[in-house]
Amino acid sequence: MALAEARNNIMQSKEGDKVISSVAMVVALISFGMLFLTLMMSFALYRFTAPVWPPAGMEKPSLLIPSISTFLIILSSLAYFSFEKKTAKGLIDKQGLMITLILGSSFMVSQAIFWNQLKSHGIFVSSGIFASVMYAFTWIHAAHIVMALVLLVWLYRKLSSPDKMTAVLVSSAGKFWHFLGIVWLVMFVTIFVL
Amino acid sequence: MAFFEQDIHDAPTTFLSKYVFSYDHKVIAKQFLWYGIAFLGVGGMMAIMIRWTLAFPGEPFPVIGDLLFPNSGGAVPPDTYAMLFTLHGTIMIFFAITPILIGAFGNFCIPLMIGARDMVFPTLNMLSFWLAVLSAVLLLASLFTPLGGAAGGWTSYPTLSTLIGSAGVGQTLWCLSLFVLGVSSTMGAVNYIATIITLRAPGMGYFDMPLTVWGLWLTAVLNAIFLPVLGAGLLLLTFDRVFGTTFFLAGAAATSGSGDPVLFQHVFWIFGHPEVYILILPAWGVVSDLLSFFARKPAFGAKATALAMTSITILSTVVYGHHMYSTQMSPLLTQSFMMLTMVISIPSAVFFANWLGTLWKGSIRFQTPMLFSLGVVFVFGLGGLTGLYLATVSTDLYLHDTYFVVGHFHYTMAASVLLGGFAGTYYWFPKMYGRMMNERLGKIHFWISMVGLNGIFMGMMIIGHAGMHRRIYNPFVYEHLQNLIPLNRFITYSALVMGAGQLFFVYNFIYSMYKGPIATQNPWEVGTLEWTVPSPAPHYNFKEIPVVRCGPHELGNPNLVGKDFQYQTEELVKA
Amino acid sequence: MNLLLNFFMKFFVPSANAAEHVGFFEAIKPPVDISTNGHLIDSLFNLTTNLILFFFFFVCLGIFGFSYLYNKKRHPKPFYDHGTSRKQLALVAGIGALVFIMVDMQITTISNHDFVNHFLNYPKDTEKVVKVEVLAQQWAWNFRYPGKDGIFNTEDDVVTLNDLRVPVNTKIVFQVSSKDVIHALFFPNARIKVDAMPGRISRLWYELTKTGQYPIACAEMCGTFHYRMQAKLTVYPEAEYDAWIAEMEERAIHVTEPDKPELFWGWQWEPNGITTLSKN
Repeated sequence: MALAEARNNIMQSKEGDKVISSVAMVVALISFGMLFLTLMMSFALYRFTAPVWPPAGMEKPSLLIPSISTFLIILSSLAYFSFEKKTAKGLIDKQGLMITLILGSSFMVSQAIFWNQLKSHGIFVSSGIFASVMYAFTWIHAAHIVMALVLLVWLYRKLSSPDKMTAVLVSSAGKFWHFLGIVWLVMFVTIFVL
Repeated sequence: MAFFEQDIHDAPTTFLSKYVFSYDHKVIAKQFLWYGIAFLGVGGMMAIMIRWTLAFPGEPFPVIGDLLFPNSGGAVPPDTYAMLFTLHGTIMIFFAITPILIGAFGNFCIPLMIGARDMVFPTLNMLSFWLAVLSAVLLLASLFTPLGGAAGGWTSYPTLSTLIGSAGVGQTLWCLSLFVLGVSSTMGAVNYIATIITLRAPGMGYFDMPLTVWGLWLTAVLNAIFLPVLGAGLLLLTFDRVFGTTFFLAGAAATSGSGDPVLFQHVFWIFGHPEVYILILPAWGVVSDLLSFFARKPAFGAKATALAMTSITILSTVVYGHHMYSTQMSPLLTQSFMMLTMVISIPSAVFFANWLGTLWKGSIRFQTPMLFSLGVVFVFGLGGLTGLYLATVSTDLYLHDTYFVVGHFHYTMAASVLLGGFAGTYYWFPKMYGRMMNERLGKIHFWISMVGLNGIFMGMMIIGHAGMHRRIYNPFVYEHLQNLIPLNRFITYSALVMGAGQLFFVYNFIYSMYKGPIATQNPWEVGTLEWTVPSPAPHYNFKEIPVVRCGPHELGNPNLVGKDFQYQTEELVKA
Repeated sequence: MNLLLNFFMKFFVPSANAAEHVGFFEAIKPPVDISTNGHLIDSLFNLTTNLILFFFFFVCLGIFGFSYLYNKKRHPKPFYDHGTSRKQLALVAGIGALVFIMVDMQITTISNHDFVNHFLNYPKDTEKVVKVEVLAQQWAWNFRYPGKDGIFNTEDDVVTLNDLRVPVNTKIVFQVSSKDVIHALFFPNARIKVDAMPGRISRLWYELTKTGQYPIACAEMCGTFHYRMQAKLTVYPEAEYDAWIAEMEERAIHVTEPDKPELFWGWQWEPNGITTLSKN
């Protein structure tokens, strides 16, 4: 497809579609946010009622892998930002999305490494509340990341035939992706650093 | 705000695309209605089994007992009893009331009443219904697992709901089923909110929306915010059951480290208290509208009613602690929750004042929907006022977890919501199916239901105050409850009467669908937008997007000539 | 009314035996009140009932009265009015305020007062009290008295199963926990209950005024045999209690089994109450 034509198609997106999508996405993100907020509330409760944290016999895993994960997810968000900007101008930046995808996937890999590391330190899912928090919260976040990655792959395929909805989809998917990045940052600070 | 041009696609032609995987909000509404009514039957049957057991413990359940419980000679065994009341609660709340009030009326009324051709996300809408079906399948599948379905009460407090208290996959499936249902309802909520914000017909401000839409909108807001809270709790509970985490295990039960079973109660009731309002808000909305429509005069203080609903919505999020007085939260928390809970009675009093104000000097037509609406005012009065006993901590210390609580929340959540649902069904049936339901059968249905449910729930409150606690298989092992046998039987007979009364509804509903008299476009002579289109509502509702020029409750205007109501599309007639 | 209801009951319940022929209003009375604080709950209940009936009367008056006065036949011309005049809004707001002040503020104040001054007013250290530790399990109640040494979780503790005996006119303090799932220690006659939660200790106190035997129930769903989780409360005159506990303490010293760790489920008594069991 000719570049100009694609640009034309993208720029046709309607103001109405944009408003509807952003309203719906904001509501959806509030929903997702409440899920993670509940997790954070639970964590706060465990954290503050425990005499020592992590509980006796447990050792905090090293910050190395989680820091790398943080770095990766921030980079992927930045990559998506530039991709979004270009789309808004009517440019198809398949490469930008691909970089986001690769960074996102490597975030998942870093998470897998992290879980393996926990296991090798003798922290198993069933070894008490500390391990429960470490595993379950990262699992739930990772599940959302997987959902988002599937969404991005679908979006990537959609980019081959851009239409009036493309820009709207890109910005909606972006909101979700950035949201997951923020959630990870909060989790990183609360669960790992503090 | 309907700057968004709403496309019209061709009507679907195949059976599958028309009736099964339909994108049409009206068809999805009907699907939810059937789904809800089917589960209402299942849940009601369970209720009757529960009542039978409480009145005649150990005696075989009549007719189908031998078939269902062959091992115990037809009597309900204690473990099945626990399963029955757990699933009765779950099914009635999540699989009957939610689909009927929110799924069916939400889908049907919102686009029609705000002048839209469909929801903003038809695909999401369809997905929402099919996820609800998946969730129902999961729940029903749990019944056929080796150890049976969930049996920890609809609240499923850990550690009873962890592997310590209930082994087997039944409880796990229950968690997953509710999680999936939560996702489905959240999808619906996102759709409703976005639709109401963006697709209102030109000229329709928020206070020009019928109160039904207000109720559904606020419900959707609560759903979108608080269902994920339950979702998180259920996820953690599932992890505890499947992967061996210890979020809700404590003390001797946990191997090392320690979770907290009470945390689940907090999470559950942060969701659970708004859930009560999620269920009742649509009913309030419907009733506020219908009282005005059938009293043939404008709703008294409609704006105040809408604002009262909003303030209850906000308040409902900060009062959940009154469900947990007996867990001994810190006294300060207990006192604050008591105080906050009490504040709810101000907007509730505003409702009653406005409802009665609507009736005042009206010209009331006692058609079936109106009877049911008046019924709601009556039973919600009882249900709401009896909540006071449970909000004050000292009386709650005695009444908590007794049948008094059961009676109270059935008055609000079962009686009011059910009657509100019936009112809506009788009222919108012509617009759904293009035929009228039978008035006489409807009135019989109303009076039987009214007598039956008051017998049941008033009886429950009385035996609760007399000391009978909840969820017991055989109350009569306690000496101090022996005197309550006759009353328990009376409640059971009332339940049977009420159950039988519902047959009138089922017959009326199905018969009228095919054989009822053809409905005119506007059988109730009401001016909201759904009555400006033919009955049944056509494909894509409105040929032209209507322009709204007046409020929804313009009835009885003395300046009108020839009729006593005006459509919302007409300019307000002035002297 | 009573007669009619009794007739109703008999009509519906032909199989009821002679012992069940209790008058309707007799049958629905709450269990006899035996604690010093029970009357607070009963009186607040009655007050709330009266207030509720007062307001519900007006709701009914509205529903039935307006239905009668303003039906289509009697009142064909409705009064066109939106209820938005200043007077009407003031009326509605006034009704809201009236309900809040007359009902809510009143019962909240009373309840709060009772809660703080009675139910939360645990006996002081210096007072003579009977201390009992309660451990709930599926589906039984374990009670533990400190024994001769006055210290819990030692070999001379008196331990009973589903059998709580206490003296009359003495303050009794319970610390309650659970072994497995959440239960609730419910004394219908003392009008009070408290949850028994694994990993936590909750507290309860009361003073009983009548001797005799009374039921103890579990009020929180705790599994299949929840309904059978019944214990017996025996309230003795003081002398009788002293004799009983002395005998039990004597017996406890003789039949200790220190090699059975599961018998030592008790915990150290913290006079001010602790909320969570020590975590290990």
